[in-house]
Amino acid sequence: MPLVEPGATGAKTETEAVAPIKGGNPGQKRRLGLTFWLSAGWIFTLVFLALFRDILPIRDPDELGIRTREVAKFESPGRNACGGGDGQGRDMFARVVQGARPALILGLTVTIIGGILGSAVGVTSGYLRGKVDTVTTVFIDIALAFPGLVLLIAVRATFGNSMFVFIVLFSLTSIPGYARIVRGASFALSERDFVDAAAAMGATKRRIILRELAPNIALPVLSFAFIGFALVIVAEGGLAFIGLSLDETTWGKLIADGAGDIARHAHVALFPATVMFLTILAFNLVGDSMRALYSPREVATQRRLRVGAMADTGSGDEVLYIDDLFTALHTPNGDVHAVDGVSLSLKAGEALGLVGESGSGKTMILRSIVGAFALADVTRTGTVEVAGVDMLRAEPADIKRTLGTQIGMVSQNPLTALNPVRLIEHQITEPMLVHTSMSKSEARTRALELMQQVGIPAPERRLREYPHQLSGGMRQRVTIAIALANEPELLLADEPTTALDVTVQDQILRLLSDLQRDRKMAMVLVTHDLAVVKGFTDRVAIVYGGEVIESGPTEQIFSNPRHRYTVALIQSMPNLDLPSHSELTTIEGTPPSLVSPPRGCRFAARCPAAQDICNTTPPSTNEASEHWFRCHFPAGDDAEGAA
Amino acid sequence: MAGTGTAHLRHDVVLSVTELVVEFPARKKQVVHAVSGVSFDLDKGETLGIVGESGCGKTTTGRAIMQLESVTSGSIRLNGVDLAAEQGEQLRQARKAMQMIFQDPVSSLNPSRRVREIVREGIDIWGQTREGDVDAWVAEVMESVGLGDEDVADRRPHEFSGGQCQRINIARALVMEPDVLILDEPVSALDVSVQAQILNLLEGLKRQFGLTMLFISHDLSIVRYLSDRVMVMYLGQVCEIAETADLFSRPTHPYSRALLASIPGNTLGLPQASELISGELPSPLNPPSGCRFRTRCPHATDVCTSTEPELVEHEPGHWVACHHPSVNA
Repeated sequence: MPLVEPGATGAKTETEAVAPIKGGNPGQKRRLGLTFWLSAGWIFTLVFLALFRDILPIRDPDELGIRTREVAKFESPGRNACGGGDGQGRDMFARVVQGARPALILGLTVTIIGGILGSAVGVTSGYLRGKVDTVTTVFIDIALAFPGLVLLIAVRATFGNSMFVFIVLFSLTSIPGYARIVRGASFALSERDFVDAAAAMGATKRRIILRELAPNIALPVLSFAFIGFALVIVAEGGLAFIGLSLDETTWGKLIADGAGDIARHAHVALFPATVMFLTILAFNLVGDSMRALYSPREVATQRRLRVGAMADTGSGDEVLYIDDLFTALHTPNGDVHAVDGVSLSLKAGEALGLVGESGSGKTMILRSIVGAFALADVTRTGTVEVAGVDMLRAEPADIKRTLGTQIGMVSQNPLTALNPVRLIEHQITEPMLVHTSMSKSEARTRALELMQQVGIPAPERRLREYPHQLSGGMRQRVTIAIALANEPELLLADEPTTALDVTVQDQILRLLSDLQRDRKMAMVLVTHDLAVVKGFTDRVAIVYGGEVIESGPTEQIFSNPRHRYTVALIQSMPNLDLPSHSELTTIEGTPPSLVSPPRGCRFAARCPAAQDICNTTPPSTNEASEHWFRCHFPAGDDAEGAA
Repeated sequence: MAGTGTAHLRHDVVLSVTELVVEFPARKKQVVHAVSGVSFDLDKGETLGIVGESGCGKTTTGRAIMQLESVTSGSIRLNGVDLAAEQGEQLRQARKAMQMIFQDPVSSLNPSRRVREIVREGIDIWGQTREGDVDAWVAEVMESVGLGDEDVADRRPHEFSGGQCQRINIARALVMEPDVLILDEPVSALDVSVQAQILNLLEGLKRQFGLTMLFISHDLSIVRYLSDRVMVMYLGQVCEIAETADLFSRPTHPYSRALLASIPGNTLGLPQASELISGELPSPLNPPSGCRFRTRCPHATDVCTSTEPELVEHEPGHWVACHHPSVNA
């Protein structure tokens, strides 16, 4: 079995749309970008100059030009001295390089000491929690509120200007910042299962902190350290400017010294100020770019909806008509062909089950109908019509009206589908108030009716409650009520029961099915669970690798599955008729990549019946027939159907 | 607390849990009654399935056995040693003999470490735990879980699919040769076809390594496939324990019957689930008196409100905690 196959991320979540992107290029390197390298280059140059000042051809920063006559008094920047000269003819470039030393030494030591101590406090507090955490958090809060500058001025008055005093004070004041960031990160990380897994292995707390948590917080801490480094330089510069310099030549002091002559000889203050500014900027930019390494959201693609060529239009009596739909997600790792030539149609009162594994593209078909793609650059080609409205090309207002009045949506997770801070009543009446001329009281009456229809006990009281006061099953009933508010012709249900318990799942499926039949709605039921569509749908379409590979009446799909994938899918369902401990049929391997789908049959690589032709030629089919499939060597005895 | 009885417990078992109670503090000085007097045992080489819906306490039970939750009262005896009486370093030593597989296969693996380090973690923690060549043993385990390829060990978790990650988790646990392997919803995050691969793998490993397993799942059809015996839980208590075949052919507790009837497309010949269960799961902050299922049970009477039912042997090896057990109702 191939070990690292793209396209399979297993987890059955609403992030299915993103799964093929993530899985499509598992070993992808996130890029740091030009800004990072330019900034890093600046920092490197600065460090290099400061380190090797003595052996590089740089003048003595204290050498008085008015005496040696090498640099003139207030000499302008130029070939002789690139930073110019100060009031005593000292080479400003040499002085700025000299000033880089205290800045870098202070920044580095403070960042290392503060970073390590702060991280140690943070990780301990975030992992151990309880009293340790409460006490630590209080101390962090107090420390962050403490005016460090006042402390510094006070201490300096007693102990004088030594580097040691500065390092100790700056380190002390930087610890709470690191501690707070690391505590937050560790707190979140310690809820991940791998921390429990390590504890279950018998790992000591010390080992968990050092081996499990530390490597995962290293990158965020490093990124913050660069920003912290910049803060130290700023603070030191500010102190030096007000006369608290720790050395004769620091950037802050150079700026302060030059400030007096700024009107006539601006370069004396501007040159060190510019270098200091660029250095701080560089450290900040390096820190920010590194964040992209551990926080991929920040490099997400732009949101864009594009439309390609049109295919055939429907005859008008279909509620949903999809012809030759292609949906491509443009990602930095290539185009993901999430939907690849899908045609479906649904009349009033019909229920269609769309079945596939995660990453198959089943949810993307649904999203292509309503045009909802989270953070993606998408192109849809072909035809999608809902109640006669072209959902790809109609006026935005028409599309919006169709979405609001003709389509009802029920999603996988009722908790995230509902707004946590709004009353149930407002969430049910909103679609009516927005899309119809109903008055508030009419909408309220209707909301009450809907609550009764979806089987919510004590509906009047429930209307005045918030989503968190309801159980998972009740919340899903509320989202169904919202979906039904404007009497839609098409109900789109995306894994409506996956997040629910089995006894609740049964209730919700029956409710959906009853409502769909009573109201003669067309319904698309998307699910990974074949058992769910049995009994609740008229037809089933099996989705694999972005294609519908078999479609037919629900009974026939179960009694006479033809495509080898459908057969395997049915057999791999745990079957109550088989004795326990008997071997389940499995499908070896993993689904195909949607970035570069196979040339022939999408299932060929995993198919027990595959022959050469399967790898080279996509199987054709007659999609007009009632039960059709894309397979060169179908299962079952009669060979009809494969044209 | 009366609990649900201990008459069904056997002697000379690997793991014995008696009157386990786990409670969590909640706001306003309330208490979440997560597990309330659960008793069961596990014989060598046996697989016990624990099923129930969310809030029934099955996961908390597993985590309490692993000492990942603190036990309020009751005893957990592993090979005769009471874990509740152990503390600190002794406890850490004692649980070397138990391993756990979690629901989310990806989140269970430290993203910044390589597969080799992850699988060897137990050996790194405990030192050499067995005689002979450790590297050969690790390689053997990797081979057994279908990760025998040379290049696997140097990769990091994000390069693997969910199913592969679960294989890595299983290998990590097996390297320790656990006396008891606790699996908490090990396949519910996986696709159907991958689910079957992992279930077959577990069944094969059980035979190859003589594993003793506690299999926790909300999915009855999956529990049925792997388990020798099944225990049904509801709101922190045990409803029914029976041999797998008995439970599925003659479910006796009203809740077990409702649970089985809810399996989509089942052919068990039970009435519709809506006739067997009604209403909502009560809050574990304030569970019903007497039988905890009574508020949703079609057969409930006064005795169910006043008296907590204990597990009674209904047929040989088939224990039910119900005042009105019914096979045909």
